[in-house]
Amino acid sequence: MEKMSNMDEMVSALADGELHGEAFARAMDALATDAHARESWHAYHLVGDVLRSAELASPSSGTDFVARFRARLQDDPTAVPAVPVGLPVHDDRDAPSRVAAGSVPANAPGFGWPLLAGVASLTAVAAIAWNILGGSAGAPPAAAELAQAAPQPLRQMQAESSRPVMIRDARLDELLAAHRQAGGASALQMPAGFLRNATFESPGR
Amino acid sequence: MTPPPPTAAPVPADTDLMLVERTVAGDQKAFELLVLKYQRRIERLIGRMVRDVDLVEDIAQETFIRAYRALAQFRGEAQFYTWLYRIAVNTAKKTLGDLKRDPLVPESALRGGDDDDETSGVENELTSAETPETVLAAKEIAATVNAAMEALPEELRQAVTLREIEGLSYEEIAQVMNCPIGTVRSRIFRAREAISAKVKPLLENQSGKRW
Repeated sequence: MEKMSNMDEMVSALADGELHGEAFARAMDALATDAHARESWHAYHLVGDVLRSAELASPSSGTDFVARFRARLQDDPTAVPAVPVGLPVHDDRDAPSRVAAGSVPANAPGFGWPLLAGVASLTAVAAIAWNILGGSAGAPPAAAELAQAAPQPLRQMQAESSRPVMIRDARLDELLAAHRQAGGASALQMPAGFLRNATFESPGR
Repeated sequence: MTPPPPTAAPVPADTDLMLVERTVAGDQKAFELLVLKYQRRIERLIGRMVRDVDLVEDIAQETFIRAYRALAQFRGEAQFYTWLYRIAVNTAKKTLGDLKRDPLVPESALRGGDDDDETSGVENELTSAETPETVLAAKEIAATVNAAMEALPEELRQAVTLREIEGLSYEEIAQVMNCPIGTVRSRIFRAREAISAKVKPLLENQSGKRW
């Protein structure tokens, strides 16, 4: 945006949607604090309205109407617009925070979430500690018994034979034996009529 | 006057939407600018439905309060005034319903097929918000604006006409008038200043109150 001669020219451009970025923010600052800038804003829109339709000519400066609107908002603390999801803010350089506008966001430091999170953490630690301490002091829990008993059969099998033992269902062996001729036996000890074993046998072997 | 070029030019920023975003970010004064901008049109609209002079302003106030509260629901999919128009009509109907009164003009008569075209349909009907004094003052303002417009230098009058009547952007006006955008901006501003200098003395409470 090129340099403008004065604030009223910025207000005029703002009314036309021709201000962006820093210039937009400066015009908004002026309109927030400068009564003359607001008068110009009102007058420029009035001129435009009257040029488009003489019906919209009105002697009201808008001052009383806005003052009444402002008083109603002050009387009604619930009249605060919520933040819409996904609505970007073009320039909030000098905009007051929403906390200042009256609503306390749920993630505000003073909202109590940190305290709640701390209590939840302490509760979880206490529950784990209760289980651990309670298990060593009293009877061993069932899970601990299983953990201690489970390795014993394995050690017993290893003592009977040095060969590794494949644990499988005996009925499966019977089934394989019965169908060995029909389907053939593969190196995998299973019927595999549709499988072909590939072996490499060199003359030296 | 040279007709506008048929090619579409970049659309200027939606100032209303930017003001809504400022408001949602916590800047209440940004919303007050929207109130100043649309108060006349909203009161005019409500005045066609309601006879009571005081009630018109009350409903207009309620309309802006409701709009302010519901601003989170405005997504910018429609023009802000279209959205505000619906709130104003619904607020007026609800108020009249609570008072067990019928609207002066049915909603269908208010609209000419376009939400923004609320001035069509009942052009010459005296509205409730118009007292003889306000009618006289309004006529004086309209005459002053027209006279000031006629007195403008040609390049200023053409620039402000292309902007306010034709709705062209600065870039489009620059193409039409064959001048830089900065010149367009300056011409429109000077035109507005010249006209509003004549109008401001006719307005109520001008410079009498602080914002």
